[in-house]
Amino acid sequence: MGRIETTLRKIFDIPRKHFAPGGRLEKMGPLFEAIEDVFFFPAEATRHRPLVRDSLDLKRFMSFVLVALIPPLLFGIYNTGYHTRLASGLSTDFLTAAGTGLMIVLPVIIVSYAVGLFWELVFAAVRKHPISEGFLVTGLLFPLTLPPTIPLWQVAVGISFGVVIGKEVFGGTGRNIFNPALTARAFIFFAYPAQMSGDGVWVAVRQNAANAADAVTGATPLALTTLQAPFNHIQEMLASKGYTLATLAVGNYPGTIGGTSAICAAVGALILIAAGIASYRIILGCIAGLLATGFLLNLLAAPQAMPWFSVNPVYHLAAGGFAFGAAYMATDPVTAPGTERAKWIYGFLIGALTVLVRVVNPAFPEGVMLAILFMNMFAPLLEYSEIRLRIKKRIPHV
Amino acid sequence: MHPKLELPINRFKVAGLPDHRIENAPAPGEVAAMPERIPLLKARLRVDTGDRVKIGTPLYEDKKNTDIVFASPAGGRVMDIRYGPRRVIREIIIQTEKAEEHEDFGAPPGTELSRMTRSRLVQMLLNAGMWPFIRDIVYRGVADPAETPAGIWVAMDNLDPFHPPPDIYLSTPADLRQFKTGLQALGIFCEHTYVSKSAKSAELDAEIEKRVTHRVRGDFPAEDPGVVHFHNKSTARENRGWFIRGQDVVLLGEFLETGRFPTRRTVAVSGADIESRYVSTRIGAPLHTLVSGFIEPDKYRWVTGGLFRGSSGSIESYLGLYETALFLITESGKRELFGFMRPGANKPTCSRAFLSIFNPRPLPVDADMHGSKRACVNCGNCTRVCPVDILPQFTYKCIRAGEIEEALSHGLLDCVECGLCAYVCPSKIELCHTFQETKHAYFRERI
Repeated sequence: MGRIETTLRKIFDIPRKHFAPGGRLEKMGPLFEAIEDVFFFPAEATRHRPLVRDSLDLKRFMSFVLVALIPPLLFGIYNTGYHTRLASGLSTDFLTAAGTGLMIVLPVIIVSYAVGLFWELVFAAVRKHPISEGFLVTGLLFPLTLPPTIPLWQVAVGISFGVVIGKEVFGGTGRNIFNPALTARAFIFFAYPAQMSGDGVWVAVRQNAANAADAVTGATPLALTTLQAPFNHIQEMLASKGYTLATLAVGNYPGTIGGTSAICAAVGALILIAAGIASYRIILGCIAGLLATGFLLNLLAAPQAMPWFSVNPVYHLAAGGFAFGAAYMATDPVTAPGTERAKWIYGFLIGALTVLVRVVNPAFPEGVMLAILFMNMFAPLLEYSEIRLRIKKRIPHV
Repeated sequence: MHPKLELPINRFKVAGLPDHRIENAPAPGEVAAMPERIPLLKARLRVDTGDRVKIGTPLYEDKKNTDIVFASPAGGRVMDIRYGPRRVIREIIIQTEKAEEHEDFGAPPGTELSRMTRSRLVQMLLNAGMWPFIRDIVYRGVADPAETPAGIWVAMDNLDPFHPPPDIYLSTPADLRQFKTGLQALGIFCEHTYVSKSAKSAELDAEIEKRVTHRVRGDFPAEDPGVVHFHNKSTARENRGWFIRGQDVVLLGEFLETGRFPTRRTVAVSGADIESRYVSTRIGAPLHTLVSGFIEPDKYRWVTGGLFRGSSGSIESYLGLYETALFLITESGKRELFGFMRPGANKPTCSRAFLSIFNPRPLPVDADMHGSKRACVNCGNCTRVCPVDILPQFTYKCIRAGEIEEALSHGLLDCVECGLCAYVCPSKIELCHTFQETKHAYFRERI
């Protein structure tokens, strides 16, 4: 270890002068600093009171989100590969499926990180501030919400929009109103609907596979509403298409790269809550809002209403990207309210809106993205209202 | 009445708790008064280099209220007066004489205390330089003698790591007697004298225990007089209060019994590489006299007054008027390889992001920021630890946006400057420093 450390130290010390103010590569200073900080933790001394500081810093804070993203990422790689090989009529054993998945998913992630980092660097150099760790999360969250067939140039356009318009125009990390990863996804969703929705985008069928099965339908479970299930029989209809509750929870069906598995998202959520990184109030609020609204719509279900009115609310919990959104997107501290009661309301309304969009609006089979973006907009209002309430309770100094 | 206050702050396990014994420090050849360490004070000198002073001779006064004078903690010759930036008076150094003389402040009132009027007592304390021991609970500077506070809070404990507990500074019968005399005197200032004591500190003599009005559970800063006051006030009239530290009550009693300015201090001395113990010394003692054994002095930050509220100095510094703690911590200065992804079984933290949450042992602390400055991500850690229900992240943003009125309505003046918000901030924002500066600026503008 000692030798590795000395070597690494040298690697950073030799070119340092070029990146320092006045050096040839001064503009690249933030990048140099960001990379060095990953290897060598900064050891700055305290100057003001208190003279001791907690060991937790933003880098570790954000790394926990990356750790929590490992289960959906790994499952997503396997799932993507599995369905690709299934649809292409190839063998679907674990290793080859994972390999195929990696070949599809890795380029998407690399493009997302590379293009996003480029924009981060441009803004860091112009504004002369360090690169924020929040980007590491955005750069991974965004690809996991995309269909595996997404063209790479669209990934690049999406992450550019997310980083620049979703974050940097507001002043950078900490000042953005909308979650940058979801902003990026929303942009792609509305700008290139052909590649982001419909039945054909969820499985990356290998065109050159001669014996590709034509019978494979790519419709996601939530998109099955168009099939007009008979009243009170939506669960049977879903099951007949292979979408039992267990399948939906495990996530072994075609869908976005990382967003299909509710169980993986739940594991991630548990990691985040255990480490104290994500707010359990938001996550529980989301679940409560989803179940309550789902149940309420059950009461309103009638033969002439849309089929999803009558589905057991638990199906909403397991299906689609809700679990992923609630665990990783809704809990983004920057765009969520910072006060505790407001977090409950914020979460609850995300859950409620998700169900409403899914059930009532047939144009959008999936609702969690819009629900979170919508509530992002209202987070400051919720926050403001709670602050007013708290101020009222204080004994003022006159 | 024994109200209990509980705060959910109990994840500090700082290594270096002093052994439960008192040692005598060697008598110092020089002691210092440090006007810079008195919050909000603009000092004006009353002596010059070369002057001879007695114990209790006024060394400097408050420019805004020249009745408030600060007494010399030693008898001898003023050896040097050192200034900091903008001519702030940093240290007035006095070379002590073998037989130190005392200033005479008239016959001690002793047993006549019960018949003493408020104005006479105030005058007496002001003359003798005893007044500065009584402090304002909002701004934490010296109390304004013209004001009538809603209550005086006696804080028997100071849990900022590490301070002498009451059973250490009240170890002799004389201490106990003087403490009671001091309490009696405080009763003359206003109707309510509250005495708060940590539930953790050892049981004292029954008569003192009877005087305790508030018992506080929880770690620093649950025991802070500002925090206890905040959780007990119910009207805006009660906002203004005074406080005094338990050890200063003993000094007050000693003054009333002897008629002389008291100089003794019991100080907690802690650190990883030194013998951590309590030391009996005097006000203004040079720090090097408190540490025994051989150490490399430049390796350390010599922090006086607690890790959270204290200020840092070097081996050449002295104890301030209010300071009863010395903690030697290091600046690691070493950039740890892959520091942010280590499991961290030994890293002190209030979060749950390190393995140290399973480590029950006290952990060593250092003077590192443990990260670099970032933008606020609204994580709310500061809100969770704030002992006076402020939302530090929003209050901070109000201040940065120039909305001081808004910050005040958020409760800025309730801030007790404990430093917990800045301690837990993962973005390493100087919350406490900003609040303190803003409070001070507001204080100056208000007048």
